Amino acid sequence: MKKWMMIVMLSCGVLIGCGERTYEPREIVSETDVCKICNMSIVHNEYAGQIALKNGDYEIFDDIGCLMEYIEANGEDEIGAAYIKDAAKNEWIDVFNASYVYSKDYWTPMNYGVVAFDSKKAVQDWMTKEGEGQLLAYKDLHDFKWGIHE
Amino acid sequence: MRKIGFALLFFLFMSQTVYADFDVQEAINVAKPGDVVHIPAGRYQGDFIVTKPITLQGEEGTKLAGVKNNPALRIENTANVTVENITLSGKNKAIVASTVDGLELRNIQIKDMHTGVHIQRSKNVHIHDINVTGSEGHYAKKGNGVAIFKSEDITIEGNTIEQVQDGIYVEEVKHIVVQHNKVTNSRYGTHFMYTSDAKALFNTYVHNVTGLMIMMTTDILLERNTIANHFDFNGYGMLLYDVQQAKIKDNTIKNNRTGIAMQKSSTIQIEANDFQMNQTAIEGSKASEDTMASSNNFTGNILTARSDPQGFQLVNNYYDDYSGIDLKDNGIGDTPYVAVSSFGQWMVRQPVYQYFVASPSVMLLTSLDQQINKTEKNILVDKTPKLAVKQVSEKNKINVVQMLVGLFLTLSSLWLWKRGISQ
Repeated sequence: MKKWMMIVMLSCGVLIGCGERTYEPREIVSETDVCKICNMSIVHNEYAGQIALKNGDYEIFDDIGCLMEYIEANGEDEIGAAYIKDAAKNEWIDVFNASYVYSKDYWTPMNYGVVAFDSKKAVQDWMTKEGEGQLLAYKDLHDFKWGIHE
Repeated sequence: MRKIGFALLFFLFMSQTVYADFDVQEAINVAKPGDVVHIPAGRYQGDFIVTKPITLQGEEGTKLAGVKNNPALRIENTANVTVENITLSGKNKAIVASTVDGLELRNIQIKDMHTGVHIQRSKNVHIHDINVTGSEGHYAKKGNGVAIFKSEDITIEGNTIEQVQDGIYVEEVKHIVVQHNKVTNSRYGTHFMYTSDAKALFNTYVHNVTGLMIMMTTDILLERNTIANHFDFNGYGMLLYDVQQAKIKDNTIKNNRTGIAMQKSSTIQIEANDFQMNQTAIEGSKASEDTMASSNNFTGNILTARSDPQGFQLVNNYYDDYSGIDLKDNGIGDTPYVAVSSFGQWMVRQPVYQYFVASPSVMLLTSLDQQINKTEKNILVDKTPKLAVKQVSEKNKINVVQMLVGLFLTLSSLWLWKRGISQ
């Protein structure tokens, strides 16, 4: 009996070890969360971002521009998952698969003017309401010139 | 009796929602440019809009109330407008001014609104002696006291702002003076973003998360402000992020978690300030080589300075924990003051370590640091530490009147006492 128990426990251990670890987004706590890059407290949740590191830590950002600055400085190797808020739904979406739109007239906490959505359709809806912008994908954000533009 | 009480309460409640008969919007509509529209005392509800150069003048008891989420008063596409002596109330914004050249707001009371004053794409704006009090609750759910966007030539002075998100929020503004204001119990006292040619003078910031938050700003002077009691987990007296050319002079910075923090900033001069009882007086990371703290007084701070390996310059400051001597008797210590602290450097990387700052192990580590760091030559070293703060000597003065009165009373007492004995 003892032998069987050992085999079952070992199998469970192996299965757990082989299973892919998931990184869930956590809720923003306005009292204590500040942007890892610029130190601003997070009061506009609809633009916030977060990175769940493989070591279990979370880094919080107030704007997609700050999140990208972190990735540029630290690389993607230690990132378990990265999330940004869908500006229309205020829900966490995957940074790497999100659709982005930029306009110098869109307001964001750092005034970078880049807003994230879960689909291109959502981007179109946003542009209908808030004015035309330039459609971007995650790969475009690496070369994007962050800052305010005349 | 109970019914009468309820009836009285009903009328009391109703009396607060009675609106005056005077038609404010009609008076604005018929006014000619340059006219003064006088609004009698009373409560007026509406979505009032001004699009011509006039003065809106209230009196004691003049109240404008917004409808639903609309601003109580809008000023648009015009010049030379003055609004004075009015109380505003409502749910969202009290005053919104867009594309106005010449605007004066004075003696205005704003209470329990989401946002006080919102100005955009305007110039020559003067906001003074207004009072904004936000509602109770967390700052994340509130707006700003006074917010200025994409504007130029602005003066904000003599205002009192409390319980809002940012007391004064300034974004993309050229030429702005913020002076003699008092901001308390808010997120940031004054928040500058993407601004150039700015001055913050004689302001008082107390009990906010951070007193002055300055981001992506160029050419700013911060002088003679009092910045105290910002000791939250993320609290700073001043935080400079990506700032170029700042002069921080003659300020009193006391009882903050961190007095001044500089991040990614260049050409910062911190001069002749009083740093008192801060957990850390100055913190720098990625500060440029020419960033310098000189002629400041550091008294009662737990850590004087901490930084990343880049450091910043310390020159001719007074440190109350300096233990050197002055054999040359020139007021300058003979040995350098070294502010480097292992624990301080760790705190830069992990702010949560702040909770161990006065623990016995950290005290021991700091004492060891002070012995070991005497060999430190480059980072956070003041080679010319001042030995004593400036002393004011005053000659003994004699008040002749007080002396004569005292003498008279003494002699009288003695005479009375002697007379009592002899009888």
